[in-house]
Amino acid sequence: MSAIKSVFSDSKSAFIPYISLGDPNYDLCVDWADALIRGGADILELGIPFSDPVADGPVIQKAFKRALANPFSMDKILETTEKIHALHPHIPLVYLTYFNPIFHYGFEKFAEKAKIAGIQGMIIPDLPYDTPETDELFKSLKRRGVDLIHLVTPATPLNRMKGIRDFASGFIYYVTSYGVTGERKSISSDLEDRIKTTKEVFSLPVSAGFGISAPDQAKEISRYADGIIIGSAVQRIIEENGSNPSLCRKKLEEYAQSISGSLRGKNS
Amino acid sequence: MAKERSFTEKEGYFGDFGGRYSPEILTEALIELEDTYNKLRKDKKFQKDLEFYRRNYIGRPSPLTYAEKLTKAWGGAKIWLKREDLNHTGAHKINNTIGQALIAKAMGKRRIIAETGAGQHGVATATVGALFEFETAIFMGEEDLRRQKLNAIRMQMLGAKVIGVSSGTATLKDATSEAMRDWALNVSNTHYIVGSVIGPHPFPTIVRDFQKVVGEESKKQFKKENDKLPDAVVACVGGGSNAIGMFYGFLNDKKVKLYGVEAGGRGSSPGEHSATMLFGKTGFLHGTKTLVIQDDGGQVVPAHSVSAGLDYPGVGPEHAHLHSTGRVKYETVSDQGALDAFMEVCRVEGIIPALETAHAFRFAKDLAKELGKKKDILICLSGRGDKDVAEVARLVGLMQGDSI
Repeated sequence: MSAIKSVFSDSKSAFIPYISLGDPNYDLCVDWADALIRGGADILELGIPFSDPVADGPVIQKAFKRALANPFSMDKILETTEKIHALHPHIPLVYLTYFNPIFHYGFEKFAEKAKIAGIQGMIIPDLPYDTPETDELFKSLKRRGVDLIHLVTPATPLNRMKGIRDFASGFIYYVTSYGVTGERKSISSDLEDRIKTTKEVFSLPVSAGFGISAPDQAKEISRYADGIIIGSAVQRIIEENGSNPSLCRKKLEEYAQSISGSLRGKNS
Repeated sequence: MAKERSFTEKEGYFGDFGGRYSPEILTEALIELEDTYNKLRKDKKFQKDLEFYRRNYIGRPSPLTYAEKLTKAWGGAKIWLKREDLNHTGAHKINNTIGQALIAKAMGKRRIIAETGAGQHGVATATVGALFEFETAIFMGEEDLRRQKLNAIRMQMLGAKVIGVSSGTATLKDATSEAMRDWALNVSNTHYIVGSVIGPHPFPTIVRDFQKVVGEESKKQFKKENDKLPDAVVACVGGGSNAIGMFYGFLNDKKVKLYGVEAGGRGSSPGEHSATMLFGKTGFLHGTKTLVIQDDGGQVVPAHSVSAGLDYPGVGPEHAHLHSTGRVKYETVSDQGALDAFMEVCRVEGIIPALETAHAFRFAKDLAKELGKKKDILICLSGRGDKDVAEVARLVGLMQGDSI
C-alpha cells in the first residue's frame, strides 16, 4: 500500500489542505505547511506556481502571482519541499502542478528529485489520462512509487472513468462542482451519489475538492468522502495575513483544527 | 455511449504538436464538440447553410486585388491582395464564427463566449451572437480594451457583454485563460468560440477548416487571372488563423513558397516580442502542445506587439508543425516596420490595413525586391485597420489637422 493510501481508512475522513509554494516567499511557506500539519492536516498539497493557471480561480491566481514575483526555479521548489518533509516526515506531500513546468524540467529528472524531496503523489489538472505524455510520466512515477492522482468531475462519464482507472493511484480527486477552484456557498445535490459511483469504479479512496471552505460543508461531505481538499480558503488566510507571519501561522493552525475536527471520525 | 479514447490515437495532432491538454471538466465538452463536428462536416444541410451565410452574409468570395501602386512603389514582384478586409465585420474572423455558431446551434447551446485581442474576433462573435440570438460574452484584456476601444464599443452595440480581464499582462493570453475558466463553469449551456487555430483538439482543426476558404478561393482566383500559381504567399501570424487558412490552399503546391510573419516587437529580449517560432520552445499552453515563449522555469513569458492581435506567446500547433517540417518559413517584422508599412499601404494603395497585416506587408516589401519583377506575391490582407487608427495616430504622433 502506498503511503498516501495508508492515510485513508473507512472510519475517518482525511483533511488535505493546499498551499502555493513561494507565496509570499519560499521560507514562509514552510511555516504555513508546519502550521497546517500541526492543526491536523493528514496530507499536504503543495502547489507549484504557474503563469497561466486555467483551472484556478482568483484566489489561487493571486497566490501564484505573488509567488512568481520571487525568482522561480524548480530547484527552489524541490528544496522547499524537502524542508517541509524534514519537519514532518510522516505526512505525505503531494504536488499540484500544471504540466508545462515539469515537462520543461524533464520527467525523469523531476520524478527522481521530487521523490527524494519527499513527494508521494502528483496532481496535474491539465494532463488528461489519454495523452502520450501521461503514459510516459505515469511509468516514470510508478517506478519510484509516486502516485499519479487523477481528477474526476461531474462531467466525467463512466466510460472515461474506466479509462482513467488504468493510470490512477493513491486517491481520486473528485471535483465537486463545475468551474475553477474557489469557495462556494452551495454544493451540488447529487455529490454523494457521484462520489459513491467513483469509489466503486476505482476501488481507491475518493477525496472531494473545489468549493469547500467552511467546517459545516466539510463535515457534511466527509460523511461519504474519504478526504476533504481545501485550497482557496487556506490561501485566502495567507493572502489576508501573510504580511504578519506569526498571526498567519496562528490562523492557519486554528483553521486546520476547525476543519479537521469537523470531519467524520475525527471529532475530538 | 461515446467511443472511448486512448492515448495511442493520434487524432488532433500535427506531427508532435496539438492534442488535448485541458482540465478534465472540459474534456467531455471537447469530445462532444469533436463528435458533433465530425458529423456536421459531412452533413449536406450544414454545408449548404455555411455556404449560404458565406455568400449572403459575409460577402464571399472576397476579391483578389492586384495592387498596382504598391507593385510600382516597391519595384519588384507583382503584389496581389486577398481582401479579407472586405468581409462583413472587416476581417477573416467572421469565416470561423459563422461556422462555429452553426455548430453551437446544432449542439443546442444557448450561450457563446470568446476571447479577443484586437477585437476583430470579438466583433465577429458578437455579430453571430446577434444573428443567431445567442447570449454572448467576450473576454478582452484591459490593455487591449484601451488599444481597441472602437471594437469594444462595436461588441456592446451588437448586444455582447464585454468582460475586461486585468490578470497577468491584461492581453490576449489572459483573456484566453479567463474564457476557458468561464467555459469550465458554464460548459453545459455554453459554446466557446475559440478565435484562432489554438486551444485543445478539436479547435485547431475546426478553425482551420472554416478558414481554409481563404486559400482555396485565392488559388482559384489567382489561377483564373494569371493561369498560374503565385510564387510566394505571405500572411501574418499571431495564433495563426488567417495564415493557416491561406496556406492550406497551397500546402501541396511545393513550388509556392509560404511565409508566416510574426511580431518582432521592439527587440529580442523576453517580453519585447511575440516571435514564437524564433524564440519559443515546445510546451503546453491553453490546452495544446505547441511552441511557447517561456523562461528557464517553464513559465510563460508575456508577449509584446504593437498589434493587439499578434500579442500572444504561443502559436497554433499546426504552424509549429509546418515550421518543424520547413514547409512554411516564419519571419519577423518589428513594431516600427509594421507602423511604416501601415502608413505606406494607406497612402500608396488607398487601403488602411490591420496592424497585424502590416507586418506581412513589411516583409513582402523586401521579398518583392528579392524575387524581382517576373514573380508574383500573394498577401493575405487579413482585416481592415479602422480599429487601429487611434493607436497608430498616437504612436506616429499624428494629431487631427496635422499633415504628416
